[in-house]
Amino acid sequence: MILNDEQRMLQESMIDFLNDQAPVEAFRTLRDDPSLGAYDQQLWRGMVELGLPGLTSPEAYGGSDFGWLGMGAVLEEMGRRLTAAPVLSSVVLAQELIRQCASPAQVEDWLPPLVMGEQVLTAAINEGPHYAPDRLETRWIDGHLSGEKTLVMDFDGADGLLVVARDAQGDAVVVRVAVDAPEMTVHSRRLMDGRNYASVVFNQTPVHAHDVLAGDAVAAGLARALDITAVAMASEMLGGARELIDRTVAYLSEREQFGVKIGSFQALQHRCAQLYCDLEVAASAVYAALDALDRQQEEITQLASAAKALANDCFQKTSSEAVQLHGGMGVTDEMDIGLFLKRSRVCNQLFGSSDFHRQRYASCLGI
Amino acid sequence: MSQRQPIKRAEQIWGGRKRVFYSDDAQRWFEACRDRGLTAPDWPVEYGGGGLTPAQTKILQQEMARLSCRLPLYDLGIWMLGPALLVYGNEAQKQQHLRAICRGEIRWAQGYSEPGAGSDLASLRTRAEDCGDHFLVNGTKIWTTAADKSDWIFCLVRTDDSGPTKHHGISFLLIDMETEGVSTTPIKLISGESEFCQTFFDNVKVPKENLVGELHGGWAVAKELLKHERKMMSNPESMSEVFNISLTKLAQDAIGLDETNVLSSPEIRSRISQHMMRDAAINQLGMRIFQQAKAGVSDPRLPLLMKHIGTQETQVKDEIVLEILGAEGLSFDDDAASQQARTMLERWAFNKSLTIAGGTSEIQLNIIAKRVLGLPSGESA
Repeated sequence: MILNDEQRMLQESMIDFLNDQAPVEAFRTLRDDPSLGAYDQQLWRGMVELGLPGLTSPEAYGGSDFGWLGMGAVLEEMGRRLTAAPVLSSVVLAQELIRQCASPAQVEDWLPPLVMGEQVLTAAINEGPHYAPDRLETRWIDGHLSGEKTLVMDFDGADGLLVVARDAQGDAVVVRVAVDAPEMTVHSRRLMDGRNYASVVFNQTPVHAHDVLAGDAVAAGLARALDITAVAMASEMLGGARELIDRTVAYLSEREQFGVKIGSFQALQHRCAQLYCDLEVAASAVYAALDALDRQQEEITQLASAAKALANDCFQKTSSEAVQLHGGMGVTDEMDIGLFLKRSRVCNQLFGSSDFHRQRYASCLGI
Repeated sequence: MSQRQPIKRAEQIWGGRKRVFYSDDAQRWFEACRDRGLTAPDWPVEYGGGGLTPAQTKILQQEMARLSCRLPLYDLGIWMLGPALLVYGNEAQKQQHLRAICRGEIRWAQGYSEPGAGSDLASLRTRAEDCGDHFLVNGTKIWTTAADKSDWIFCLVRTDDSGPTKHHGISFLLIDMETEGVSTTPIKLISGESEFCQTFFDNVKVPKENLVGELHGGWAVAKELLKHERKMMSNPESMSEVFNISLTKLAQDAIGLDETNVLSSPEIRSRISQHMMRDAAINQLGMRIFQQAKAGVSDPRLPLLMKHIGTQETQVKDEIVLEILGAEGLSFDDDAASQQARTMLERWAFNKSLTIAGGTSEIQLNIIAKRVLGLPSGESA
């Protein structure tokens, strides 16, 4: 559950790169100018040059096989800086959908462009306002796709999307669609976290069979890809919570009232200390899940649910407390705290709320 | 095989002159472990330990847990005094005490808190007067765990109060409880039991060679020992009764599942789920700390969190258990409920002391705020 020397070096070079290319101000610029799109293309090209899209893929497909603990460390650093880039959507979710659901020949064909960063794919999972991957009504029948998808991440920067649907027999399939496919209506917008999401309606969109991943492996592969993405999301959230605690401690150590630093007040100290305890508990759940992925453990549902639920609770509470502990400044847009607060609430909903994961964890426990 | 069953408190083997074995099997298991150094697996062989590295010790513990083996010996000497003596004791003290601890011959009590010195431990007033070849000790210690069953007690005493801080002038003394002038009274607790006592010292003569560490410099020994105490308390089930009552099994039996195999109380289901996630994550945090130490990249902040986190979560579990038991878990009377329910109720009551003893949660949070987060010092000590 700890980084090896190579992974630590990766983390350090990522910190240098992000400090230079993607501080929180860079995200602020993106947020304030809708014409800049879903993310900064130059930043993404820099990430591609560093090999980020290949971190978790085998060398045979052009990746570096750096492992999930390494990827988690990168996502934490991105979370600290609110970095917007198609990492969760294209590097984690889209690549995993392909690796977990496709035949070897399809993997050979579909995966390398993503690993090399030549192509960016996003994925359409959600239907309706809540994450409920088992409720799947989109259909791919007779070569046509119909249904409604919500919360498609990073749509504006993507070359295509992987749509999860069912075929005529009711079996799960993954369908590849171009962003400009016919008979498809897109409503692309920004949510309060400043990121780009789309709702997509397919109305008999034609899709050839060679653009479809089907077969017995898809249902379980889809579940695993979603679990992996939930863990990756949780890694990003840990970074956000770490940054908030650092910033809050710094603020309390500086701000004076009644003639003393307010960070010397025990009531405030204990709140910060409790936040830090909960952070390291959540972090341990996330690292345990990443470690299980690196050991190629087959059953990861329970670990993934614990990681996401505890990261949700941690980031949600930490961001609310950070606002309160910053006092009046905490509710100004000038401070970055609010940006983290909004990001936390969107992250909570993506890939499962705490309630979703607590109920699923209970099922794993047999109760 | 009788030694592979979950242990009840009455069956635990505590060391000391008043040691009793509840069965022949228990005695055989204890002696077999003792003779192989497994009562203190990570202590040096020359002092009666097993001579294992931390990594080997961890493997031993995991394997013993996997085989449901019982802990061969329960003792504060093993958990707390021994590790401190290995750092601060002189050779004669190590020779005299460590082997007796490993062999379960001497049972130790802890003399830290006083009626007027709890969280503010360094304000302690039990006095040891230098009388040439011995100290003369007067005062009282409280919350002395099982002092009425113990043979020796390690004590923090004041030897000087002219120093620059109240931490200076404290010394660490080992006292044989059979010495004239030592007396002990059990304190009845809310669990109905009396694990804690008050111990009185009335002109007790203690030989000079029983001083551990520097004269007036006992605070360093005290802190080393507290580290081990807090580590132990972060996982109370490792040192007390093996209380591995499965929460899920308990809930299934007492509340029942509906036709879709889901627990009939959604509220309890969520709370169990949340607790079990956190409990697993706390174990994973312990594993992280261990792996960091093994790789030589320890983050010194993490161990400071464990006592507060672990004891807090234990109490969360206790409250869920109580609610699941319902009316079954509301009586301390022998005949009022099942033995299991009564044991769980006693644990619930006793475990309220976990967030108080060994440094309260509030003191732990102070430590985390200042030493981990670096928040400024001010009104709180």
